[in-house]
Amino acid sequence: MSRVIRAAVFQTAWTGDKESMIQVHEQAARDAAAQGAQVLCFQELFYGPYFCQVQDKAFYAYAEQIPEGPIVRRFQALAKELGLVLVLPMYEEEQPGVLYNTAAVIDADGSYLGKYRKTHIPQVPGFWEKFYFRPGNSGWPVFDTAVGRIGVYICYDRHFPEGWRALGLAGAEIVFNPSATSRGLSGYLWQLEQPAAAAANEYFIGAINRVGVEEYGDNDFYGTSYFVDPEAQFVGEVAGDKETELVVRDLDLAKLREVRDRWQFYRDRAPGTYGPLTAP
Amino acid sequence: MTTALEPALSVRQVLTLDRVLAGEPEVVAGAGHLDRPVRWVHVAEAADVGVMLSGGEMVLTTGVLLAGDPDAQAEYIRSLHRAEAAAVVLGLGRAFPAPPDVMRRAAERCGLPMVVLHRPFPFAELTEEVQSRLVRSKFAAVSLSEAVRTALTGLVTAGAPLQRMLDEIAGHAACPVVVTNLAHRVLATAGERSAVDDVLRDWERIARQAGGSEGDGWIRAELGGRGERWGRIVLCGYRGDDATGRLLADRAAEALVLHRMLGGSVHTWEEESAQGLLTDLVSGVVPVRQLLPRARAAGLPVNRRTFVPLVVPDGDPAQLDRVLRLVGLPGLVAELADGATAVLLSLARDQDAEALAAHFAARLRHETGTRTTVAAASPRIAWDDVPGGLREALHVAEAAADAPADEDRPVLVRLRDVHLRGLVRLLRDDPHVQSFAERELDGLLYGADVEQELLPVLRTYLATGRNKSRTAQLHHVSRPALYRRLEAIQTRLGVDLDDFEQAASVHIALLAHDAQQHREHAPRHRWEHDGQRHGNTGRLR
Repeated sequence: MSRVIRAAVFQTAWTGDKESMIQVHEQAARDAAAQGAQVLCFQELFYGPYFCQVQDKAFYAYAEQIPEGPIVRRFQALAKELGLVLVLPMYEEEQPGVLYNTAAVIDADGSYLGKYRKTHIPQVPGFWEKFYFRPGNSGWPVFDTAVGRIGVYICYDRHFPEGWRALGLAGAEIVFNPSATSRGLSGYLWQLEQPAAAAANEYFIGAINRVGVEEYGDNDFYGTSYFVDPEAQFVGEVAGDKETELVVRDLDLAKLREVRDRWQFYRDRAPGTYGPLTAP
Repeated sequence: MTTALEPALSVRQVLTLDRVLAGEPEVVAGAGHLDRPVRWVHVAEAADVGVMLSGGEMVLTTGVLLAGDPDAQAEYIRSLHRAEAAAVVLGLGRAFPAPPDVMRRAAERCGLPMVVLHRPFPFAELTEEVQSRLVRSKFAAVSLSEAVRTALTGLVTAGAPLQRMLDEIAGHAACPVVVTNLAHRVLATAGERSAVDDVLRDWERIARQAGGSEGDGWIRAELGGRGERWGRIVLCGYRGDDATGRLLADRAAEALVLHRMLGGSVHTWEEESAQGLLTDLVSGVVPVRQLLPRARAAGLPVNRRTFVPLVVPDGDPAQLDRVLRLVGLPGLVAELADGATAVLLSLARDQDAEALAAHFAARLRHETGTRTTVAAASPRIAWDDVPGGLREALHVAEAAADAPADEDRPVLVRLRDVHLRGLVRLLRDDPHVQSFAERELDGLLYGADVEQELLPVLRTYLATGRNKSRTAQLHHVSRPALYRRLEAIQTRLGVDLDDFEQAASVHIALLAHDAQQHREHAPRHRWEHDGQRHGNTGRLR
């Protein structure tokens, strides 16, 4: 029995200011809804530049409260209007000086379902994230949305198999991986790691990467966003590497059961032997 | 590529040469490794021969220095193995009456082919035979490499299109040749059509095979430069030896990279590919069914889809493609005629085709800041109906282009929106219609002043529903002046424009006349120029 949902991800370039960036994303939500998309995830820190190329406290101003801040409220109204589940990767300020790289999840009726805070924070040239974010403390939430059970795993998180697995154990059917990653650094991994995670954990993954070069550094963000299924096959084509692009794909969630009935990875795990993985 | 330039005989091939057969060869060890390439043949009796080798040699020996010393025999074999010799050939008789067991076992353990010759045999004959064959094949490879390089470089510098380059490559390879981008989208193909169709039919599966082995004749070479890969060329089922196939693929890749660097971007190739496909579709020269695998290979979803053919007047293909990506709609874009760019949307069956076509048209206006009106055919469920749909969209676009300029032009027009104008367009080449138009407008069509004054006045008068004040206003003339011109028109035509039927008749004649004039001035469609060429090739260009 098939259970097809229409899902979307959106990659775009920094416009130069926050408000026009928000408007571009509002338009993308409308474009997705016009096609009948039921869920849409934006790129990491969607309404800003990828300011982690530099270390400047001026960018703390991009952070806002989740869900009390204006952006979440604005997109709650839009989600309700369009009947669209939205995943909003944002810069979160819990209180002054306590900042996270976070994704808020809004259900199709506009209600706020919760947030995931990025767990693994890099600190390497071009990606000075520890300057801006505390490591996440949200654990591995999976959100029961109108289209299915959704998890979020942000950017650098994707290099760590443990979180993917935790989301699978919590029942995620689709995991979105909003990112900002640049050509040369991770290009050879981008079409390797998420398909491998999709196969290992037997769920769908939507991977999003921004495009273009921004004024704060040389990072050349290469887009190529995609959906990949539990057999590690791309669903339709991968997006282009330079232009703004909305990727809308039909995902048959019944494939989870089909693949898990074939490969019993969850049955055959041996958590009793994994103690060393959690040793400090 | 040194590996490509060094084709070699295999051990197995050497053993089947007539001169070798005369020595009654027997493989006594390493029988599973007889496909190893033999780069050179070397006669050596020295016990420490290994240090003199550089790999790939077939070593010939009588073993005179090894007789009676099992340790030296085993070490001899191991040193050949360490030196990556291709095989060892032992002539029986002088030192060994039978294959020495120590050497045989050592060779078997190393996986080194060991051959014994049961009859006395002059080694010089074997070296001469093999060396001359190797030299000839090396020369042939260099000569092929040069021939291919010269031919392709000539084409690049002559500015030949991609298709011409691929035809040349396919001519050398004698198998289908496919160029793809990194998303495995087929950009161009060459080779015998039925073989190409067979490849494309299974393209989805083939493309997803990571890497792929070359043993099956599928030879891939990456296209790229300056640290960026952007596509690959695949020889599909090459029947010659791997080394020659690799050489061809590498030469082809070099030439294609040069072609792209000198001639434009990969987007141009993608546009060319879509243009070839849409042109073949609309021309009807290639059976529509045959184009389905091509469409799928070009990245258009085709299973259980609704197709919406659109035509955008003066649409820039690259810009239209950007807008399609922006709004997330899958489709192919190509210029079909000067000033008419087609967009073939592929939608899921549950999607509202009309609404999405209108959405695309509206977003196109918003993104380009133009007042473009997109012409749309009615959606097609069956692939076989797509060519009719494309022709319908072209027809609507032409009919709409004739309509008087209007501030409130809609974002999207369909067949039902072009009314009588559309019908007249369809019939404009009919001799009866042409003579009707001539007859009805006879008094106005000839004479110096008429084209400038009376015909435009008549056109406006009829288009405004015989509104005299609006006509006068649009022509910037006083009402009495307009009356005089209308009077002149009626006199010349011998009609009474207040009579509805007579006015309607003149109006239809004028629409037919304008449609005919438009045809004479309009450029012909691409498939009318060279449809036959596309039809003969039946491939993506």
